[in-house]
Amino acid sequence: MKTCPRCESKKTETVSQSPVKGAWEVYLCPVCMFTWRSSEPESITNPEKYNKAFKVDPQDIPHAAKVPPVPEKRA
Amino acid sequence: MAYRDFRDFLKTLENEGQLLNINEEVMPEPDLGSAARAISNLGDKTPALLFNRINGYHNARIAMNVIGSWPNHALMMGLPKNTPLKEQFFEFAKRYGQFPVPVQREETAPFQEVEITDDINLFDILPLFRLNQSDGGFYIDKAVVVSCDVEDPDHFGKQNVGIYRLQVKGKDRLGIQPVPQHDIAIHLRQAEERGENLKVAIALGNEPVITTVAATPLLYDQSEYEMAGAIQGEPYKIVKAKDTDLDLPWGAEVVLEGEIIAGEREFEGPFGEFTGHYSGGRSMPIIKINRVCHRKNPIFEYLYLGMPWTEIDYMMGLNTCVPLYQQLKEAFPNEIVAVNAMYTHGLLAIISTKSRYGGFAKAVGMRALTTPHGLGYCKMVIVVDEDVDPFNLPQVMWALSTKMHAKHDAVIIPDLSVLPLDPGSEPAGITHKMILDATTPTAPETRGHYSQPLDSPLETEKWEKILKVMLNK
Repeated sequence: MKTCPRCESKKTETVSQSPVKGAWEVYLCPVCMFTWRSSEPESITNPEKYNKAFKVDPQDIPHAAKVPPVPEKRA
Repeated sequence: MAYRDFRDFLKTLENEGQLLNINEEVMPEPDLGSAARAISNLGDKTPALLFNRINGYHNARIAMNVIGSWPNHALMMGLPKNTPLKEQFFEFAKRYGQFPVPVQREETAPFQEVEITDDINLFDILPLFRLNQSDGGFYIDKAVVVSCDVEDPDHFGKQNVGIYRLQVKGKDRLGIQPVPQHDIAIHLRQAEERGENLKVAIALGNEPVITTVAATPLLYDQSEYEMAGAIQGEPYKIVKAKDTDLDLPWGAEVVLEGEIIAGEREFEGPFGEFTGHYSGGRSMPIIKINRVCHRKNPIFEYLYLGMPWTEIDYMMGLNTCVPLYQQLKEAFPNEIVAVNAMYTHGLLAIISTKSRYGGFAKAVGMRALTTPHGLGYCKMVIVVDEDVDPFNLPQVMWALSTKMHAKHDAVIIPDLSVLPLDPGSEPAGITHKMILDATTPTAPETRGHYSQPLDSPLETEKWEKILKVMLNK
């Protein structure tokens, strides 16, 4: 189980393994939808080194603006 | 002449010395994004890049920067690669005027070779990667997305073929950004008002004409396929999708079929955009993928975008200028000379026009704001005289620096619509817009001292020819 480098959720899943065995794995965070590869630089893979300006607080996610807004259903 | 498919165009680029094969193994990150950024830093005549060995993959090949220079843009239209930019503009405008060219329908297509409907995993099927460092994930950013008008599904022209950023958010899930000013947002709204999913078909790895047209701000009921026929000078080949009645480019390398889930929005981005800024952290619609088809050993295509200029600026440069030019000419057929709206997809536009009387240039600027593309772009419109070439920025700067009087010639219109990606808009999607009238005042406007314009010495043209010949020896 990996920690999401961006929102630090522990719920991440492995979505892909390299076709050439052992090269890398790809992980997905179902909370903030961040996706990363194990072979990326530490500034991407390490939660402590992830660029602070782009960190995501899971509590903010439900408040994100909907683009486009969901229209009213017509009767 | 038309390119048969993506591979045919890559072959032409290679024959013309406009494709660089990279046979050394590269890492998906950061090499692919870095190399594509770097090639754009090296000028406006750069080649496409074809990466033939990517770490972790057996035989994935990725092409980038395919339309990322003026020679490659010229070759897209079948012109000699050294065709000057202004000539490419007028040739594009001429062919645009041939619209519509009826399509050629085919029963089968090469992408039907391999089909996957069970246990779809896009992360395994596509060689995905992060483009810019703070992108929130892996994106498909140069595919055409096809959808149809839900209330008028048989109207061929209302079927839309557009390029939208697609974040891969699960094994069979994509996020999509339908900006309200773009046509797919109309289709999605219709479907969601009915509580229905919107069917979509997505084609990756296309010959460059449909890519160019999909990035062109056509009118809502104009068919991209009939325009692609006009631009390439012969009918465009299309084939039906399997699950829907949607039409797809025949030559595609990979096709994804699915549906935008009605009423759902999910956290998306950020993604480094053509504005040179990241945008995201908003909740956007999602697409569930039900079917994937592809050629055996497909060639994948992505585009780098970021701080201009990058491939996207070449891809949506002239094709943004020409619709604005045509729509302005409909209003003012005898006056409009040329339009340069190549800056940030037309957030800034420069219009060259004759002036019939005082105030005319400002009216031309206002008309640009009310064109369909102007509703989402044209934040700044610079209007120059007919003898100023809008593609020659030193000439435009001369006009601004000498013809403009801030008291009379800077017009600000408050709170107009703009695409929400404009980082200056506040709230996102609303901005003041400005017209800068850099034309010479015309009667009844008589201000300024413009009665003695400097003309060239008598034999200048003759000498230009003599010197050109001498320099070319």
